[in-house]
Amino acid sequence: MKIRYLRWSLLTVVVGALTWMALGNGERSFEAYCPFGGIESLYGLFREGQFTCALGPLNLSMLVAILVLTLLAKKAFCSWVCPIGFLGELLSKIGIKIVPGKFQISESVNRWFKLLRYISLAAVLFFTYRTGELILRGYDPFYAIFSGMGHGTLGNVTILVMSLIAIGSLVIPMFFCRYLCPLGAALDPFSKLGLIKICRNEETCIECGECQTACPHGLAPQDTIFLRDSDCTNCLECVEACPEEETLNLKLKL
Amino acid sequence: MNISKYIIPVLVLSTMFGGYFLRHAFTQPTTSAIFESSQSGGNLEDNLTLTCKVQGVKCKGTANFFTKLYTDIAGISTLETVASDHKAVFTYNPKVISPDDIRAIMEKPIRLNNGSTKQIFTCLEMK
Ligand code: SF4
Ligand code: SF4
Repeated sequence: MKIRYLRWSLLTVVVGALTWMALGNGERSFEAYCPFGGIESLYGLFREGQFTCALGPLNLSMLVAILVLTLLAKKAFCSWVCPIGFLGELLSKIGIKIVPGKFQISESVNRWFKLLRYISLAAVLFFTYRTGELILRGYDPFYAIFSGMGHGTLGNVTILVMSLIAIGSLVIPMFFCRYLCPLGAALDPFSKLGLIKICRNEETCIECGECQTACPHGLAPQDTIFLRDSDCTNCLECVEACPEEETLNLKLKL
Repeated sequence: MNISKYIIPVLVLSTMFGGYFLRHAFTQPTTSAIFESSQSGGNLEDNLTLTCKVQGVKCKGTANFFTKLYTDIAGISTLETVASDHKAVFTYNPKVISPDDIRAIMEKPIRLNNGSTKQIFTCLEMK
């Protein structure tokens, strides 16, 4: 079975379950499952012993689970569970078909743009900790989509922000994940340490570059032996794209 | 040594389910309030307990807000809320106030800062 179909099936189940909850079913709100909520809660919990706004213990336990997962398998959460990553991936696939030409972003610009997600993380934490409210919900695609532009979104401002993210994702693959996701920024140091990595066998590699073309994050497994980049989500697209048997594999490496 | 690529979905599923069950390790705050004895009216021995599952009681802030709704209500002696279970436990004097009255208080629409009114709490179950 193609691993991508397995991954997409799991993501479809996640999206289905969140939609079911967002429609008012189940015991908890869909927001209760967001691990980033665990980060947003930490300050309130340590200072006042209370969860921020609509957040609760499940947000915190999901955060712990994701940190463990990231230490083991890098940002696997992003490509195997996160509905926004899934949406970004689908939009990128559509973008490749409908956007004329190939939009190339240089490595140095890419590196500078990636700093935006740290600004995004700092802004979310600053405002949440300062106010004790989830006041940036209006800019959060996860909340805006699953709440159906619910309480806390900002009408036209939210629509504009979501449209820009969608257009960005059509033009630059994984636009939100690469440049804006605050959870991705928070996971970076843990992902860097992630034990299970993509490993390239130099002897069988023919340096065709198919792995880099297939990588949604534009990473280049062909330039390294062990891929340590914190952006790798272990989606395994590169492994499946590689034409040489047993050339790209997963290995344990500190 | 190479690892099977199926290790990734296995790890994803096990950590996600692990996270779901780990939630019990992080308790959510409980608030409790004992109201003035005069508020309960009559004899404390006559008091009954009413447990309500309340949609809307989900954190310490909402639990405090919920508790305030009953601060000046005659017939209620104590109120404990457990945010993690969305639960409120009342002791009340049935000669002064009925479970339906208690329910009506929490479900009454509340005036918001922007002038509109909204029902914040819904009683899903009473025992
Ligand atoms: S796709 Fe495989 S063979 Fe081609 S460059 Fe990448 S690792 Fe080497
Ligand atoms: S390097 Fe391979 S596993 Fe990592 S994100 Fe890119 S395609 Fe996915």
